Amino acid sequence: MLSLYRIIKFSFQDIVRNIWLTIVTITILLIALFSINTLLTVRLISDNAVGVIREKIDISLYLKPDTIESEIIALKNKIAASPKVKEVVYTSKQSAIDAFRSKYENDPTVLAALKELGRNPLSPSLTVVPKNFEESNLVINDLKMLDNSIIESRDFSDNTAILNKISDITKRVNEVGLGIILIFVLTSLLVVYNAIRVAIYTHRQEIEIMRLVGASNFFIYMPYMFSALVYSLVSVLIVISIFYPFLTLLQPYLEAFFMGYNVNILSYFVENFLVIFGAQFLAILFINIVASLFAVRKYAKV
Amino acid sequence: MITLENVSKSYDHRHKVLKDISLNIKPGEFVSIVGQSGAGKTTLVRLLIGEERADEGRVMIGDWDITRLRHREIPYLRRQIGVIFQDFKLLPKKTLEENVAFALQVSGGKSDKIKKVVPSVLKIVGLDDKKKRYPNEVSGGEQQRAAIARALVHQPKILLADEPTGNLDAINADEIINLLLRINKFGTTVILVTHNKEIVNRLNRRVVTMENGQIINDQAHGRYLL
Repeated sequence: MLSLYRIIKFSFQDIVRNIWLTIVTITILLIALFSINTLLTVRLISDNAVGVIREKIDISLYLKPDTIESEIIALKNKIAASPKVKEVVYTSKQSAIDAFRSKYENDPTVLAALKELGRNPLSPSLTVVPKNFEESNLVINDLKMLDNSIIESRDFSDNTAILNKISDITKRVNEVGLGIILIFVLTSLLVVYNAIRVAIYTHRQEIEIMRLVGASNFFIYMPYMFSALVYSLVSVLIVISIFYPFLTLLQPYLEAFFMGYNVNILSYFVENFLVIFGAQFLAILFINIVASLFAVRKYAKV
Repeated sequence: MITLENVSKSYDHRHKVLKDISLNIKPGEFVSIVGQSGAGKTTLVRLLIGEERADEGRVMIGDWDITRLRHREIPYLRRQIGVIFQDFKLLPKKTLEENVAFALQVSGGKSDKIKKVVPSVLKIVGLDDKKKRYPNEVSGGEQQRAAIARALVHQPKILLADEPTGNLDAINADEIINLLLRINKFGTTVILVTHNKEIVNRLNRRVVTMENGQIINDQAHGRYLL
C-alpha cells in the first residue's frame, strides 16, 4: 500500500514538475486521437452519403392502370417471396396521385394540367427493396424475366448503370478508406510510441540514479506505467471534451446537406461512446505501456 | 570486508582492463585507490557495485560473493554500499531533502524511519538549512554533500567515492574529504578513488596505486606515486 502510494506520488510529482514535457506528450497523444476520430467521422459521413444515394435508387414495376387489387397483391407476394428481396412496397393509383399533388402543391401549372386531364393518369406501382444492395442487379434480372400480364413497364436500364457506379464507388471508398485509416492509425501509434520514448529518454538520468541507490525494478518501472495511464486517460478525456462540441457544431450542416434523411453522427458517437473511446483509451494505453517498458528497460540496465 | 581474488575484466575479450587483481580491505579502513586515466579504477568501482561482472576471479563483500550476483539481487547490494560520484548524480527536479529521502523510499523504507533518518544525515553533512533547495540552487560542494547524505541513509558499511572532488574547487574538495574522514571515524569503510595528488598525500592513509589494470603499489601510509 505504501509502495503504491509512493509510486502514485512520484508519478504525479514528475508530471507536475516536468509540466512542459507532460504538455508536449499529451498534445501528441491528442493530435493522434483527434486525427483518428476525424477520420472515423469522415468515414461515417461517406457511408451515410452512399446510403442516401442508394435509397434514391428505385426498382419499380409500373402496373396497368385498370389492374384489380387482388392481382397486384398476388404479384407483390410473389416478388416478396424471393430470398433476394427485403420488401415490396405497393403504391396504389390513389396514393400515387396524392403523393404527386403533395409534391407539386406549390406549382399551380402542374396542378392545373392535372385538373385539365380530368382523370388519374398515374399507374399503380410496386417498389422493390433488395435485401442486399450488391444484389440489386440480380433482383432487376429476376424482375425482367417476370412474366405477368399486369406489368406495364419495367425499364431498369438507367438504374443498372447507376447501381453499378454506386457499387464501384462504395467498394473504392471502402478500400481507400480502410487503407488510409490503417496508415493513419499506424503512423499515430508510431508517433505516440516515439513521443513516450523521448519522454522516458529525458528521465534516463533519473532511472540510472534509481538503480544506483538500490531501487527495485518495481519502483523503477511502476511510476512510468502509472504516468502512461494518466497520459492516456487525460488525452482521451480531452479529445472527448473537444470532439463532442465539434460534432454538435457539425451536425446542423450535415442535417442540411442530407435533408430528409436521418443522418446523425453525434448520436452515433453517443450510442457507441464506450466502444469508440474505450477502444481508443485501451489502444493508446497499450502503446504507452509498451513504449515505456522498452524505454525504461534500456536505461535501467545499469 | 572486501576481498578481490585474482580478478580480471575485459570489455572486448582482447584488451584486459583489470589483470589478475587481488586486494583485501578491512572493515573501517580508509583506502585511496589512485592511478591515471585508464588504469582500471572506475572498472574496479563498477565491479564493487554490481554494474559489471568479473570475467575471472572472485569479488567478496563480507561473506557475499557478488561475482555470481543475480540481477534481482543488485538493488540489495546497492543498499549495502553507499556510492558518490564526480557528477553528484542528484535528481534535478527533487529538492535536496527529497533526493536523500528518495534512496529510502525506492527501497521500501517506512515513512517513520525516513522522517527520522533524513534530517539527521542532512545535519551530519551540514545541509539541514538548505534541504528545501533544488540541486541547481546550491554550490557543487553542497551538491556533493547531498550526494553523501543520500549514500549514508542506508547506513552502509562501505562508502565508495569515485572522484568525489573532481568537479570541486580546493576549498570544497577539502570539505568533502573532511566529511569522508568523519564518516570513516564512525566506522564506515571508505574507498576513495581519485587522482588528486594533494589530497592523497595529505590523508596519509592506505594508498593502492593502479597502472594498466594492475596494482603496482599498496602502502599502509602511502603517498601518490605517479
